[in-house]
This record gives sequence, C-alpha cells and structure tokens, in this order.
Amino acid sequence: MRIVVLVKPVPDPGEERLGDDGRLDRSVTAVINGNDEYVLEAALKLVEAHGGDVTLLSMAPAGVTDPIRKALAMGATRAVLVSDPTLAGACSWSTTQVLAAALRTLEYDLVLAGADTSDGGGGIVAAGVATLLALPYLSHARRIEPLDGGVRVERLSAAGHDVLEATLPAVVVGTQLLGEPRYPSLRGIMGARAKEIAVRTLAEIGLADRPVGGAHATTALRATRQPAPRGSGRVVRDLDPVAAASAIVDFLVERRAI
Amino acid sequence: MVAASALGRLTDDQRAIRDAVRTLARERVAPRAAEIDRSAEFPEDLRVLLAEQGILGLPFPERHGGLGADLLTVCLAIEALSAACATTGLILAVQVLGALPLLLAGSEEQLGRFVPALASGRDLVAFALTEADAGSDAAAIRTRAVRDGETYVISGTKRFISHGSVASLVTVFAVTDPEADRHRRISAFVVETASPGFTVSRLEHKMGIRGSPTAELAFDEVRVPAANLLGAEGDGFGLAMRTLDRSRPGIAAQAVGIAQGALDVAAAYAGQRRQFGKVIGEFQLVQGLLADMDARTEAARQLLYTACEEIERGAPDAGRWSALCKLVAGDAAMAVTTDAVQVLGGYGYLDDFPVERMMRDAKITQLYEGTQQIQRLVIARALLAHKP
Amino acid sequence: MGGGIWVVGEVDAAGALTKLSGEAATAARALGEAGSREVTGVVVVAEPDGAAASLAAFLSTVLAVRAPEMADRAASAVVAARIVALAAAAQERPAYFVLGATPDGRDLAGMLSVLLEIGVLVNATGLTWDAAADGVPAGPRVEMQPFGGRVLTSSGFTGECGIILLRPNMVTAEPLAEPGSVEERTPGEVLDLPPVRVIERVVTESPGPSIEEARVIVAGGRGVGGPDGFAGLRELAGLLGGAVGASRAAVDAGWIDYATQIGQTGKTVKPAVYLAFGVSGAIQHKVGMQTAETIIAVDRDPDAPIGEFADLFVVADLAAVVPALAAALRARAG
Repeated sequence: MRIVVLVKPVPDPGEERLGDDGRLDRSVTAVINGNDEYVLEAALKLVEAHGGDVTLLSMAPAGVTDPIRKALAMGATRAVLVSDPTLAGACSWSTTQVLAAALRTLEYDLVLAGADTSDGGGGIVAAGVATLLALPYLSHARRIEPLDGGVRVERLSAAGHDVLEATLPAVVVGTQLLGEPRYPSLRGIMGARAKEIAVRTLAEIGLADRPVGGAHATTALRATRQPAPRGSGRVVRDLDPVAAASAIVDFLVERRAI
Repeated sequence: MVAASALGRLTDDQRAIRDAVRTLARERVAPRAAEIDRSAEFPEDLRVLLAEQGILGLPFPERHGGLGADLLTVCLAIEALSAACATTGLILAVQVLGALPLLLAGSEEQLGRFVPALASGRDLVAFALTEADAGSDAAAIRTRAVRDGETYVISGTKRFISHGSVASLVTVFAVTDPEADRHRRISAFVVETASPGFTVSRLEHKMGIRGSPTAELAFDEVRVPAANLLGAEGDGFGLAMRTLDRSRPGIAAQAVGIAQGALDVAAAYAGQRRQFGKVIGEFQLVQGLLADMDARTEAARQLLYTACEEIERGAPDAGRWSALCKLVAGDAAMAVTTDAVQVLGGYGYLDDFPVERMMRDAKITQLYEGTQQIQRLVIARALLAHKP
Repeated sequence: MGGGIWVVGEVDAAGALTKLSGEAATAARALGEAGSREVTGVVVVAEPDGAAASLAAFLSTVLAVRAPEMADRAASAVVAARIVALAAAAQERPAYFVLGATPDGRDLAGMLSVLLEIGVLVNATGLTWDAAADGVPAGPRVEMQPFGGRVLTSSGFTGECGIILLRPNMVTAEPLAEPGSVEERTPGEVLDLPPVRVIERVVTESPGPSIEEARVIVAGGRGVGGPDGFAGLRELAGLLGGAVGASRAAVDAGWIDYATQIGQTGKTVKPAVYLAFGVSGAIQHKVGMQTAETIIAVDRDPDAPIGEFADLFVVADLAAVVPALAAALRARAG
C-alpha cells in the first residue's frame, strides 16, 4: 500500500507568536503538527503490516526541513516539500489547491492527514483535497484498516462511532485515537539523513499560472491584540483535606453555583 | 540543556541523537525516576525502551548490528538520560563498560557470537573486576581461572558488580598465572550467566542509583569455553585498564547529566518560589549559587567532550584525559546537586522534589570506576611519566 | 443588498437540530441585520422536517432538503453536493455560510471551499459586520483565538464571500419572536461526489448531561493518577449535577473516553463552574475551557499553569480532597 501523509510544520505549541506583519513568526522552532504524527504512526503501522511505503507531502518554506527529517526518522520513506516564495501567507483554499496539485504528481493508494492543526488550522484542507481529486473522503478516524481494494474507517461521532467504507484511493483524516506516535529510533535518525526530500516549486506541480499564494489569499488578518489577563484568583494551600474541601464548597456558594 | 557554546563542536548526527535522547528522557524516563529510586527495582521497561530506540546499540560496530557511534555520541546519550534519571543513564554506561573488553580485545568470531544480542539490547553485559579485597588495587584479585582441556574453570567471588543480577553476560577478570608478574597474572573471559556454578549471592542496598542492581557474584567452578578468553592469557590487567580509559568518560557523562538535571530544577524553582515578596531568583545570594552551578557543570561538560575527542583520536595520554574528566565531572555533580538542595531549601530535602535523589545519585560518580583519589593518581603518574 | 448568508443546520444522532446550529443561526441573524443581508437556514438530512422546523425557530426562512441516501452515506459529500446545487439554483448566490465548528462542519467547509472557490475562517469565537472602509470591502469580521488564546485576531474575507466555522458556546442562541417558515427544496443537477458507505452506526451512551451542555464540569488530568481516580470525579459530578471532562493527558493514558476530552483537539465548553483536578492547565487544554464563568483547580503542584487563571486554586493532594469534597457536598445535600 502506497500512502501519502500530509504533514504540516507548525510552531512548537506554546511558543507560537505573530510577527509584525500579522503572519505566523516562522523563526519559532517548527515541529510536525501533533495530529499529523498520529496519522503518520498509523501509516507506518499499515505498511509494516501490509507492505508498501510512506511518502510525506508538505507545503512549507524550503528551510523548514527539521520537522520533515524527524518524520522521516520515524520511518517514512521519502518526502516531497512544495516550496515557493509566493506561497508565504497562503490561505487554506490555496493550500488545498497546492496539495491536490502535488498529489497529482504522486502515486498512492491512500492519503492520510491529521485532524486540525495546532497553529489554528481548522482541519478543512484534506476535505478540499479529496473533493478536487474526486476521491472518497473519510474523516475523524479512530481506526483505519485496509480492505481488498478499499478502506474501512471507524469515524468518531457525537454518540459513538460510525463504521465507514470506501474504495481506494481515498483520503482519510485521523485523530489522536489512532495511537501514540513512536519516537524516532536512533537508527532512524541517522538513516533519515540519507533520505530524499524532493523540493518542488509551483511550476513543477503545474500551478505556475494559477491564482494561489499569499497575493491571492481569500482571507485577511485585519487586527491582532493581546487577551486581557484573566487575573489570577485566590490561592489556598497547606490546608488539611477537610478544610480544603470546605474552602471549595464556600467558594461554590459564594459564586452561587450550589 | 547543552549551552549554545557546545553546539559548534557537535556534528549534525550528534546533535540529532542528543536531542532525540533528551526528548525521550524528558517524556518517558523522568516521570519514572522517583518511583525507580523509591522501589529500588531495575527499570526493565526502560531497558526495553532504550533497546527499542537503538540507544543500547550506540557503542557497537555497525557490522554486528550496532550504530557504530563514537565515544562522544555515547556520552551525549548517557548525559541526556542521566539528567532525568541516573539509574537509566547507567544502563547504557554499564553496557559500554561490560562490552569494552570484548570490543577492544575480542576476535571477529567472538564479536559475531556476542555483540548482536548486546547491540539489539536483548542482552545486558556486566563488568566483573572488583572483589571485596581488591577495589582500587585491582591487580590484587583472587578469583582463579584454571585451564582444563578446552575450558577454563573459574572460582571466586566478585563484588560491587553493576547489573550483575540482570546481565546475560559478564566479562570476568580472573587470575590464570599466580606466579606471573603482578600485571601479567590476570586474564579476561566472557561468561554466560546461565552457566552452572554462577550465582548472584547478594544484592547491595545503596544510597543512590538505587534502581541499578549492584550484585555480589559467586563463581563455583564455572566452566567457560577457552574460546571465551579475550586476547591472550595475561592480557587481563592491561585490558581492564584500557577499558577504564574508555569507560570513565561515560561516568563523567552521567555526572554532567545529573548536575544539569539538578541545575534545571533549581533554576526553575528559583524563578517561581516567592519569599519576602519576590521570587528567590532575584536574591543575589541565590543568583551566585546558580551561576556557580552552571559554571561548574559547563566546565565539566567541555572537559568531557574534549576528553572524548582526545581518547577517540588515540591520544597517548588517554588515561589522563579519562581520569581528568571523571574527576572534574564527579566533583561538579556532587557540588552542584548539593547546591541545588540548598536553593530549594527545606523543600530540597523532601522527596517531593528530585534534587535530594540527584544528590544521592551524584555521590557514586566520585566512587566508582576508580575513586577520585585513584583518578588523581592516574593523572599524576601521567604527568610524572613525561618528566625526564 | 449583497449576497445572502446561509446557515447550515446540523443534526445529532437522533435527527434533532444541535444546540450549536441555533447559536450559528443567532450569530448569522445579527450579521444579516448589520449588513442588510438575507439569512437563510439550510437543513440537508434524510428526514429534514423536524430539524428544519427547529432551525426555523431562529430564522425566517429555512430550506429543507430531503437526502434519503444519508441513511447509509457519510454526510459531508452528500450535503456539500446538495448545497452547491441549491446555491446554483438560488436567485442570488449566497455570499457567506455560517457553520458549526464540528467535525461535520469542517468536512463540509473544506468541500464547499473548493467547490464554490471561497475562503474559510475556522474556529470563530465572535462575529460582527464591518462596513466598507479603506479599500476593505464590507463583510463579516471574524474573531479568533489562535494558539490557545494567547493571541486574539480579527479577520475578514478578501472576496466578499466565505465560510465561517463558529465554535460552540460562543453565542447564546435566541429564538425569533415568531418562528419562520420551512420550504422544502429538491435541487436538480446534484454533483456526483465519491460515496462513502456507512456500514454501521455504533452508539455508546453516556449518562448525565453532555459536557458541551453541562452547567458544571468536573475535569480530571494526569494528576488523577489512573482510571480509578475518575470514579471519585464521577461521584462529584453526580453530586453537582454536572458532567465529567478530561485533559488530553488523561485520555491518552487510556483512563477515560475521548468523548470527554476538553481542549484544542477535544470539546470547547463554557460551563458556569469548571472544577479541575490534577489538570496542569497546558495551553492546549486552556483553549477549551477558558471561558468558563468560574474555574476552580485542585493540584498538588503549586506551579501548575492552571493556578495562573483559576479563580480558586487549591494546592493539595487530590486523593484526599476529592473524597472530602464529596463528603462535604453530601452533608450539604442532607
């Protein structure tokens, strides 16, 4: 099974900040989006059990290779990085066009992507990619298993889960319930240096004349501001359990919660 | 944390490996450290983790399933693990120590027979030189190995053997020729602990590194194939000394890691704890403690890295470098962890915080693989040997 | 008047309109009033009558579309194709869509974005209407709180059209004085998007109020120590008439169901009281609960980040406080 995993380098969660231009400050250490690591883990398990290989596909500035290397060290076979100066400030619509165009240049049975991204991405790109490529789209997966010529997914629902099936190739979006991502082994880390990260420009994926990128963004940031601090409240310490409990009860009464 | 000044000398691979081990140490090892210390049980789960991640394969040649890492890379891994848990850092350090006689003197046949299981981390190996009455004076050991046809028969008792109770292999130093010159009496053997006559006769109760089992091993006419002799008869003492030249940096790395771990806790605490209306980190007396801790730790680290490079390039005074770094790092670890407890005040003395454990763990780095006094002896001898 | 605003209603497993759909409708109505745009509800499900009527409580016009294949098809492709067809057939193509920021809403938004060639703003925490100014066209102004709420941003659309995903519990749903009308529509020329079959729908019931709707949430994190620790929290939740929630750490450890997870990759909640036990308060958790009216935290670690934004922070050992609190609440209840 040939699997493409969409991976997004994001600022290390907790370290993110906006630059003066209102865009993400990319000088912050980049890591692979957490949910993408879960689907990468699922992809690696699938090829370990059923054969095949895993290609990483990412859209990011050319210099952002550390997180891609880490994903290669986890066990992916190769990486394709779409990188073009005009993509700075691209909106989700542009990103969708770019990833779909890049996928048209690759061979695959399954495309996997993580549910939302930690940098504020909404987890909407994969649905658009599937639609552009006319592929079945299965989202919110907690389990992915291959069928003969198809894929079965357990999709989380508000009340439990739905069991979905579709033919391959297909696009599947996964959640953290797929299982903890592995740590890259030291052998994987050393081996990852020899793996290929193929950098592609927009022209190379056939989008040279398309209105994608920062100049054609469908959305625009108008203003940013710092949140007002919530203000730290009362701190109670060094009480015995009964006194601590009654401090909580008193507070609940004070706030008219009970 | 390794300071930026240290980054320039590390290769991309070394940095990547250090960062990966550090992440693993922070996320998987640190949460286990207090419990390992409290229960004094060998962390088999973490041995498996180190094996799976390839960390135990670092010191072994690639042709036998290892990663073929240099000494500095191995030490970076030990340092990163020890910052979270000294017992866990020691799993790798002892694997290096136990395997070094084999790596230094083993034939290709012996390497092929023993190394793959060590490199995969399936088997652990211990180093058995010390005896109750032969510690610093290693040449005075009494365990005997007597040739009998195609086997040697080993009898005697070894003490203070790290991992002696969890290892599958033990590198045993035993007297083969009692009549020979003091430094030619001893030979080294690879002994499988499944051999009849081998028993773990006692486990020590220790002040620190409590999860690392320290065993007394009894050899009651244990038969070992002659094919397990490392090098030639009489090579043992020299081999033991060459082993320690390469293994002491691992202990120095453990010490640097412990010091850094304690410094990180103390610095974080000083930035949070408030007394007299401000965080204690704003008091200059506390700042002085922290600055000295950082300076000692960083100085020890830089000496260690230099020692690794010197030993790796085959410096003729490798013994001096290894003794220097162990001496400085061991003392730094003891001083820094003691100061860390001081920064935390009364809280530092409680097991709610890890610094008291780190202080207990630090002490061993001044004792094993040669006490600090022996290190000074080694250094002084090297100095005097160069004089006409 | 420019293009209208469409609100796509979502239904729960029982086919009833979700609470969030009412919130989205209320937010869209305010936008429509400010921007002089018509606001229309759309419900596409196998049996839309009930949900469409519920949505009409908030909007004057609701289009109900019967999509029988949704009984055994994944929703997003079916709904997207119908909405594209409806929009094409409409007198005036809708300019804006307001959807709930749910898994289904995200799926639908991603598909509509490429099918209609319009942008998306996700995870809105507030909506207002900006008049045209300084070369920026009039349109919705979308408030968001990226990076766990450490930055507040306002964004808009460049092309006078777009899709907005509204987070739950950001707006209070307010019905109209007079309910609106429901018109059934059957769009022709529906796109043929690749089908995804639903083989089975598994319902795992959880007793008590759902955490999105509970007035009181008793949440546990890594500090709870294990699945047994959650038994004590369940008892507290029962005594307070609330629901049990969890941080990602507790869910990842397998101590409790994913459905209870609060935070960036879980639910967003806005209860009157949020009682956190052994929850460190990492940024990823905070984003899901920071709008709670009152936050009470109990943790052994005096430096836990939650101490920085809790209204009451009790530094104590949970194992002792949880049963003591249960006893105190039982005593009060008499």
